[in-house]
Amino acid sequence: MIRFDDVSVTYDGAAVPAIAHVDLHVPEGELVLVMGRTGSGKSTLLRSVNGLVPHFSGGTLRGRVLVDGRDTATHPPRELADVVGFVGQDPVSGFVTDNVEDELAYGMESLGLPPATMRKRVEETLDLLGLADLRGRPLANLSSGQQQRVAIGSVLTTHPRVLVLDEPTSALDPLAAEDVLSTLQRLVHDLGMTVVLAEHRLERVVQHADRVVWLPGDAEPLVEGDPADVLARTPIAPPVVELGRAAGWSPLPLTVRDARRRSTELRDRLAGVHPPEHVAPALGAPVAEAKDLVAGYGKRVVVDGVTATVRRGEIVALMGRNGAGKSTLLKCLVGIHRPRSGRVEVGRVGLVPQVPADILYAATVADECATSDKERRLPHGTTVACFDRLAPGVPGDRHPRDLSEGQRLTLALAVVLAPEPELVLLDEPTRGLDYDAKRRLVGVLTGLARAGHGVVLATHDVELVAELATRVIVLADGQVVADGSAPDVVVSSPAFAPQVAKVMAPQRWLTAHDVEAAL
Amino acid sequence: MSTTSHVVRVSWSAAAALVVASVVTLAAFGWPFFATPTGLGEGASHSTDAPWIFVLVLPLLAAIVLAEVNAGGLDAKAVALLGMLAAVGGALRALSPGAAGLEPSFAVIMLGGRVFGRGFGFVQGALTLFVGALLTGGVGPWLPFQMIAAGWVGFLSGCLPRRLTGWPEVVVLSGLGFVLGLAYGALMNLWFWPFGAYGAGLSYDATAGPATNLESYARYYLATSLAWDLSRGVCTLLLVLLVGRPLLRALRRVSRLAAFEVPVRFEAPELERQETV
Repeated sequence: MIRFDDVSVTYDGAAVPAIAHVDLHVPEGELVLVMGRTGSGKSTLLRSVNGLVPHFSGGTLRGRVLVDGRDTATHPPRELADVVGFVGQDPVSGFVTDNVEDELAYGMESLGLPPATMRKRVEETLDLLGLADLRGRPLANLSSGQQQRVAIGSVLTTHPRVLVLDEPTSALDPLAAEDVLSTLQRLVHDLGMTVVLAEHRLERVVQHADRVVWLPGDAEPLVEGDPADVLARTPIAPPVVELGRAAGWSPLPLTVRDARRRSTELRDRLAGVHPPEHVAPALGAPVAEAKDLVAGYGKRVVVDGVTATVRRGEIVALMGRNGAGKSTLLKCLVGIHRPRSGRVEVGRVGLVPQVPADILYAATVADECATSDKERRLPHGTTVACFDRLAPGVPGDRHPRDLSEGQRLTLALAVVLAPEPELVLLDEPTRGLDYDAKRRLVGVLTGLARAGHGVVLATHDVELVAELATRVIVLADGQVVADGSAPDVVVSSPAFAPQVAKVMAPQRWLTAHDVEAAL
Repeated sequence: MSTTSHVVRVSWSAAAALVVASVVTLAAFGWPFFATPTGLGEGASHSTDAPWIFVLVLPLLAAIVLAEVNAGGLDAKAVALLGMLAAVGGALRALSPGAAGLEPSFAVIMLGGRVFGRGFGFVQGALTLFVGALLTGGVGPWLPFQMIAAGWVGFLSGCLPRRLTGWPEVVVLSGLGFVLGLAYGALMNLWFWPFGAYGAGLSYDATAGPATNLESYARYYLATSLAWDLSRGVCTLLLVLLVGRPLLRALRRVSRLAAFEVPVRFEAPELERQETV
């Protein structure tokens, strides 16, 4: 269906090719997962499939890309539109119309299909993607997961034979990402479409992939093969695979179920070993205290009588479903939302918001850092030094919006960290981060806690919590329903348990790293 | 990166169409100063000209765009950008349809022309006025004149030397904005001036020579429209000074991201292999 013959792509002005000597053959009906860190050439590979590279991006494509027998050199993207459907990261930036039905029909209209066919296909697609209840709704009022489902639907209506998705969940919050990935899984199983998917959230998709293509980056040759084989060699892998590696299982398990069935012996071996406690090595003085905090919007009470203390050296994870009051609590702590009653006492505090670009205004990274120094009356170069420590090698003349998600988060973090606040708050910091960036974030936050800062992060990312948190607070309806050490709170919870905990239960292991250290 | 790209390349065919369209429009504006005195009545013959030019000019403009498309110079990216900027300019006209000479859309046209080149500037200017007219219900015989004149505004902004950057660029652009604001008004009066009677020494006289008419027009201009045109010129100047730098930067970022002038090349594989498809 898709065939790459010795394909190299070099962008204009680039010294090295973005992808080099790619030979790839994707037969019909296969789900291929493309993995690799940011900048490894995933997007280039995906965009070559429908000719956006190089027709839209410019640059030189050496070799040949054939899709359904059509050569992309002679067929520009518009002539491949009936074969390849392409879905990008941010659904909102791709929408053309205002409501769900119109958006679904737009692609067909562009291809000049008769109205009767369009009507029929819109109905089919609404049912297929579970959008029937939303048919007349304005796109702007949908949740981000629903928006991405509409974006997928709008390319499905043209009945493409290949669906290409470039990190369809990286601009979404974790719950919306789940929503999209489960939809995708249904599509693959029910329709047997050929799907090429780039995705960071491997733990959710790797079990459905027929094949994995790993781009190591730096123009190294790509690795492709059976998921379990490829994942045995990659530096990035879902926790359950890492556990399999630590335990030396072969082939590697791809799902919690696989691993659970194989882990009896491992659990026996570790029965006498005490898992690490995941508590802060040294607790300092309190940096934030909330007492009977009540806050809300209009008549709605969002935070309902929260009492909590955060100490120096602690990393507190704030968990709970959307709307449970996590963000509002953070806003109260940082002082941008006024509580209705109760008391908040905090020292110097900084918040990295959910969309890091919200606190980045300048036209270049260097400007952003200089402005940050000036506004906080810091010695010139403080912020830029902080940024270089967190993410070395980002050119200063880059526009903040042109950075990768991870780099942008790091820049926002640098701006917040430069004045050395006693308490750092992060709202959903891992959205759109690849494993590398996440690992670096874990390192940075652990370092901060060790240096005596208090850290609070609101997140849905259970694996991050497992790795990082020394304390977990679960909010529901604005009230604290659980507050304790990470193993105490998450191990028994079906919603918040990390993959490794699910495999090892009832033993209280949280990460593959812990298991590896114990073996 | 250069300060001006050429998103819409003015090919020879397009240049020819542009020149013809401009010459026809100039003639339509300037005939009172070239026409030899005739004894015929009050310019009655010309009252049918405007619709005629309207009919003629619009296809010419379309011809320019079509010539570009055929030359492969107008890709989907350029169309999208053109549509967006023309819509923004048109909406600005709807907000302030030249009332008291305030014409914020001029600044947008000039900045677009400056960043994306003269061909783009011309089409953007013309489309902005067209969209604005549709939004405000201002469609009439004056529209083609406005479209071509605004097209010139965008075109001239795209003609400034490329090496200007930073503040000098903004200052020169705003200066040009002031001049063009005045000139646009002076030209636009001409589409109706010959047909009205404004009193002795102010009106067009078909029996008088070009020099006399030019003098009358100068008097008419000073007496009536200068105040409006001054405020348009000053408004454009201030707007470009005020928002020029951030807008130029934003547009150039778009230009860079869209990779407008980056060549697309295909090369055969290094080793030709057996075809198995």
